[in-house]
Amino acid sequence: MKYSREFRNADLARAVAAEIAAITDPKRHYKIMEVCGGHTHTIYRHGIKDLLPEQIELVHGPGCPVCVLPMGRVDDGIRIAERPEVIFTCFGDMMRVPGSKGNLIEMKAEGADIRMVYSPLDALRLARENPEREVVFFAIGFETTAPSTALTLKRAKKEGIENFSVFCNHVNIIPPVRALLESPDLRLDAFIGPGHVSTVIGCRPYEFMAADYGTPCVVAGFEPLDILQSILMIMRQLAEGRCEVENQYSRVVPWEGNLQALEAMAEVFELRPYFEWRGLGFIAQSALKISEAYSHFDAEIRYETPGVRVADPKACQCGEVLKGVLKPHQCRVFGTACTPEHPLGALMVSSEGACAAYYNFGRKTGERVGAGR
Amino acid sequence: MEEKNLTLPGSCTLDHDGCVVCSDAGVPVRVISVEGDDALCEDWAGNRAEIAVDLVAPVRVGEVLLAHGGVAIGRVEEVEKK
Repeated sequence: MKYSREFRNADLARAVAAEIAAITDPKRHYKIMEVCGGHTHTIYRHGIKDLLPEQIELVHGPGCPVCVLPMGRVDDGIRIAERPEVIFTCFGDMMRVPGSKGNLIEMKAEGADIRMVYSPLDALRLARENPEREVVFFAIGFETTAPSTALTLKRAKKEGIENFSVFCNHVNIIPPVRALLESPDLRLDAFIGPGHVSTVIGCRPYEFMAADYGTPCVVAGFEPLDILQSILMIMRQLAEGRCEVENQYSRVVPWEGNLQALEAMAEVFELRPYFEWRGLGFIAQSALKISEAYSHFDAEIRYETPGVRVADPKACQCGEVLKGVLKPHQCRVFGTACTPEHPLGALMVSSEGACAAYYNFGRKTGERVGAGR
Repeated sequence: MEEKNLTLPGSCTLDHDGCVVCSDAGVPVRVISVEGDDALCEDWAGNRAEIAVDLVAPVRVGEVLLAHGGVAIGRVEEVEKK
């Protein structure tokens, strides 16, 4: 791990943790939300929670695209995948997300031609190699992933590939964050902003958090020291009465984002009037559909999708966990009826889901380990 | 000029087996060669892959990019080894 040593130095981590502890008001309770599922994963994998004073509570946000996709959309994807002429492609984690009547792995076992890909460009390659078949890509992801779908469609158009389409489920990070800030259930002191989403959108879109809601935001990287330093930057803002957007991850995130990627997205996508989020309900202008200019690549137009809204299983409390109202171990089926082997909810499926992070890194009761060391 | 001891800033690799769509699967890679809109790139562990570079064009051999799902979505600053 020679290249990660700089960001995993234990002495430095202890020094940053001590500085955080020194400026923590012992009489105050701090609620800090890490928006991104990748941050949740780093926090539990590296035991960062145990380095923090108990006054600091980390709340897990809605930033896992697999976890926020409602069941009805999975069912729609399965309906397309069942068609005999279709090669249905998706990212690995999507394969195990339960729909109302099963998941894509089960459909594959029953004979549907479903293939896991690493990139939408792999799906386009399959379309080139199989001109007699229809290749559909199940696109999910925030602004980190949407540019790769946009780029793929631009290449498909340029090459005149007609047997390729995209079932688009891309979502935007800002609308659900705004919804959380409006939520009466949750009072947050600050946000740890998503690092790689910000590579694309930059830091400017977060300015409303500080300006309109008085909530600081620090855009953070994904190494353990990145997270600790971001928490220190937040705690300094709170201690000094400042409220700003800051960029801890400046080695990767330019303040203005990636304009070429944003232009490609603007060409290929347009905003949906509304989209359903698991646990958060319908949020206006929170997701992307294929634009008019690329509509011949839109799988929702090419194939009939039922578009039925499907409620989560009654026992499943993914919604409350996604909103940060419940911790994963407080869900009534956590670790019993819902495990990574047999997930009921999407938060247990994705390796970056909050429930999977709690389960895999031994936080089955939410206990702290060696606090303050 | 003295050559700095630089390193790629992050530990994620091209053979990352976690969730692709999650944003932590952003891989710092160095450009080895460029051919049209694609570049052969290498991560810190020596894994190589062809990465689409349309969204960060133009790129030069030796530059460090952030790759996500087979596509470069940004440029990355190297950090000095301590």
